[in-house]
Amino acid sequence: MTREWAPAPASRERLPTHPEPSSLVDILERVLDKGIVVAGDIRVDLLDIELLTIRLRLLIASVDRAKEMGIDWWEHDPTLSSGARDLAAENRQLRERIGALEAGRTAGSGSRARRAESAVTPPPRSRNSSQ
Amino acid sequence: MYDAAAPPLTAHETIWVYAITHSGDHAGLTGLRGIGGGQIRALRSGPLAAVVESVDPGVFSAEQIQGRLSDPAELEAIARRHHDVVVAAAALGPTLPFRLATVYRTDDRVRGLLDQRRDEFCHRLGWLTGRTECGIKAWADPDVLVRERGTAEPADRGPGGRPASREAPGSADQSGAAYLFRRRAELTARVEGQRLAARCGDEIHAALGRLAVAAHRHPPRDSRTDGDEGVMVLNAAYLVESAQLAEFAEFAQASAAGAGALKVVVTGPWPAYSFADGPDALTCPRSLALT
Repeated sequence: MTREWAPAPASRERLPTHPEPSSLVDILERVLDKGIVVAGDIRVDLLDIELLTIRLRLLIASVDRAKEMGIDWWEHDPTLSSGARDLAAENRQLRERIGALEAGRTAGSGSRARRAESAVTPPPRSRNSSQ
Repeated sequence: MYDAAAPPLTAHETIWVYAITHSGDHAGLTGLRGIGGGQIRALRSGPLAAVVESVDPGVFSAEQIQGRLSDPAELEAIARRHHDVVVAAAALGPTLPFRLATVYRTDDRVRGLLDQRRDEFCHRLGWLTGRTECGIKAWADPDVLVRERGTAEPADRGPGGRPASREAPGSADQSGAAYLFRRRAELTARVEGQRLAARCGDEIHAALGRLAVAAHRHPPRDSRTDGDEGVMVLNAAYLVESAQLAEFAEFAQASAAGAGALKVVVTGPWPAYSFADGPDALTCPRSLALT
C-alpha cells in the first residue's frame, strides 16, 4: 500500500523524540481496556479494578505533579496500605500543612508555600502502598 | 490435536488465555513461563491456535484472580507478564491479543471458542497480517496556542481596548468594570485555549488517520497542565504497515509540530491490542473539539 506523504511544515523544527520503554500505564491501557473480550468460564468482575487502575494511571503518570499540588491520597488510602491509619496523627499533620500553606500564601510567594508544605513530614508509607 | 508439550488433562484445571494466532509453528514459545509460572503452550484447533497456560485452580479462582488484580503490585506483575507472552506470540506471526482475564475450565472449552468463531478470527488475523500497532501521544500549551493561533482578546485589555492598567484610578466603578472585563477576557482566553488544544489533537489525528490502515483514539489521559509541555491533546493508536512504521513515526512528529504541539511520544511496535476486534468493529474517529 502506498500513501502520499505531505511535506513537513517549514515553520517549525521536527519535535524532539522521547524514546521510552513500554511504560506501565501504556501496558495497562492495553491489557485492561483493549484486546479480545470473551465470556470465558470464570467471570472476573473488573469494576473495582477499573477504579483502582484509573487512580493507578493518574498516580504513575503524575506523582510528582500531584504531590506538588498537595494531592497524595495514596499515602492515606487504607485500601492501598495494610493496617489501620492513625487518624488523629493524620488530622494533626493536615492541620499543620494547611497552616503552612496559609502562612506561605500570606507571605505572597507560591514557591514558599510549596517549601512550607514539603517541610511537613509525610506519614510513613506501608509496604503495600503503590509507588 | 494436543501440543506435544502440553501437560495431561486433569478433571480440575484452569486455562489462562493470552492470544489467538494461526495454527502453525510455535516453537518460539518453548520455555516461556506465564502469569502462574506455568509453561506457555499452543492449543490448536483447525487453522487457529490459542496461546494458553494451565494454572493452578486452587490459586486462580474467580475471587483470587479478582483479589490479585486489585492489588497494585500484583496487577503490575500480571499485566507485564501477560503482555510479555502476547509480545512473544506476536513475534511469531499475526496475533489477536486477549484482555485480562480470560479463563477456561478445559482445553476442549478453548477449542470450542476457536471452532465457534473460526471464520471471524481468521478474518481478523488476515487483516492484521504485515501490520503493526503504533501509539501516538501529543501535548500542547493552550496559552501558546492562543498566542500563536487564537482570536481572543488579550487578557490585559480593559473596555474599549485600552490597557486595563491605564484606567482612571480612584473610581470604584471603573476599577470594578476593568476587573470584570479582564476576568471575562481571561475566561475567554482559557476557553479559546481549550478549543485550540482540542483542534490541535483533531488535526494530528486526522492527518495520521489518513495514512494509517485504522485508528483508535482514546480520551485524553489527563487534562491538567503537565510540566512544560501543556495538556495532552492526543492519545491514540494507529494500525500501520509494519514496513512503514519508521516513516509513520517521522510523519507523526512533523504533523504534531505543524499542528502546534510541543511534545510527541511515539510508542511501539505493539501487538494489535487496539485492533483485535477487527476492521468491522471500528467507529469513525470523533472530534473532541465539542467536548
